[in-house]
Amino acid sequence: MTLLQLYKINIGARAMMVCAALVLVLGGVAESFALTCVTTPDKVDIGMSYHGAKLVVSGQSKADDELIVKITAPNGESHLKFKGKAANLFWMKMGSMVYSEVPAVYMLSSTSPVDKMLLTDQLNENKIGYPALESHVKIESDKMEVEVKQWFDEFIRFKEKDNLYSVREGAVNKTIEQDGATYKLELDWPYQATPGEYSVEVLAVRDGKIMEKAQSTITVARAGVVAQLSDLAFNNAALYGVMAIVIALVAGFGVGAVFKGGGSH
Amino acid sequence: MHMYLPIALTSVNYLVVVGLGLAVGLLSGLFGVGGGFLMTPLLMMIGIPPTIAAATDANQIVAASASGTLAHWRLGNVDFKMGLYLLIGGFLGGAAGVQLIKVLRATGGADFLIKITYVVMLGSVGSFMFIESLNALKKNKAAKAESSEQAAPADKKGGLLSKLPLQTYFEKSGVTHSAMVPVALGIFVGVLAAIMGVGGGFLMVPVMIYMLRMPMHVVVGTSLFQIMFTCTEVTFLQSYSNHTVDFLLAILLLVGSVFGAQIGTMLGKKLKADQLKILLAMLVLAVTVKIVTELVMEPSLLLAYAGGH
Repeated sequence: MTLLQLYKINIGARAMMVCAALVLVLGGVAESFALTCVTTPDKVDIGMSYHGAKLVVSGQSKADDELIVKITAPNGESHLKFKGKAANLFWMKMGSMVYSEVPAVYMLSSTSPVDKMLLTDQLNENKIGYPALESHVKIESDKMEVEVKQWFDEFIRFKEKDNLYSVREGAVNKTIEQDGATYKLELDWPYQATPGEYSVEVLAVRDGKIMEKAQSTITVARAGVVAQLSDLAFNNAALYGVMAIVIALVAGFGVGAVFKGGGSH
Repeated sequence: MHMYLPIALTSVNYLVVVGLGLAVGLLSGLFGVGGGFLMTPLLMMIGIPPTIAAATDANQIVAASASGTLAHWRLGNVDFKMGLYLLIGGFLGGAAGVQLIKVLRATGGADFLIKITYVVMLGSVGSFMFIESLNALKKNKAAKAESSEQAAPADKKGGLLSKLPLQTYFEKSGVTHSAMVPVALGIFVGVLAAIMGVGGGFLMVPVMIYMLRMPMHVVVGTSLFQIMFTCTEVTFLQSYSNHTVDFLLAILLLVGSVFGAQIGTMLGKKLKADQLKILLAMLVLAVTVKIVTELVMEPSLLLAYAGGH
């Protein structure tokens, strides 16, 4: 996508989203810019050559507000295996671990460190930062009593490796304008994030309080051949299996025949 | 350079995947192994979930083994009769093994037992083949023998085994066995393969060499013939029941592996039987060392997706 196209989409989407964005005024006076949130693009198509996407979250805010941008997938369960030392000898998968009350994707960005903006209770209540997520997480294992601190840290490392969890304090850039401010967050959307709808929430913080919230969404969907193959695999599994086998056999015998034709021996 | 995989739900560099296919296909054509014990961990390293890595590998092995079987058939290296008996045994053993693993898992602690069996099997098969072929190479050097193809005497039969009913002459391999022998050995490998979650090529090849006394080159061709069928079955079942075959990933892999299998077959033709055996032994030992190292070293991440070895 060229810069010009991106710019056009940006302008169009911004115009629509400014109207549609859910703006909750929790307090304060709307004497200048109300908080807005626009994600550009707000739809990510997964085609054959997809390798993640460049996204921009931007909008307007009041000049004095600090900003927090939180991108999450809806809360769900993550079913994983945990490793331990068997017979005090070998590291291997020992059992299952189910994480609930935490999102599959969590990307937190802000204008400055969040623990300088809000008190722990507020951070926890709004699930801002890893310690806040830890206060909500439920971890269950079929094989042992779970030590939450240790296994939540492991969960973060596991998610960060796939770029599904991140905390970037200072990544939101704010520009002071005449009647308020504009902000911008540039984001590398990870290809590891599965298709689905993701929530983008911007929080404006002033004097240790959350003053405003604005939201938008990112829709990630399969497109073209990727969508067709996926449909076939799940909705017509027998045909998909036969097709996979036939193509493999044709390719195998075909190349075998070509090699003979090429006079290799 | 990147392709998104619709089932694995991840993006890969397609040159890397084609390269992997080429390398493992080459080993397949050379040694008659499917290469699952190499490919599955390699795919996991590039971010493919374990269950999808294993199932998709089976799909690409269909192509590599078809390519390799055709190449070996042209060289007269496929004993279809022996392959068929082994296949019957393999199917029966595989089905029994799948049930057995359910019982083992239910009793708990089975995974440790399975891992230990796998390592001991790999290590002992590798060591035995290495020592045996090293001795044979030394002997051949001393005797200045042209070829070691006769190292396995065609008419050599065990006393008890020769008394079994259904004695059959296997023309391509030049051996006579009771039809029950390859079927029983097929069951044995099938059970072990199902328990360990691998294709069993690395077990089947030594069984054919040392227990069925088949010539090395015929072993490779016949093993590939047999693998083609087992992997076809696995591909279908995995697609149908578990939706774990990633067709695009399989295509990338097989683009490399079908050529690799042809190159492997050509290379194999230039090597003597004992040279092939010692190379396979070294490969099996290297994989054993890798697995043992992974088991002993603390992993960087203590969480993993479900499935896989």
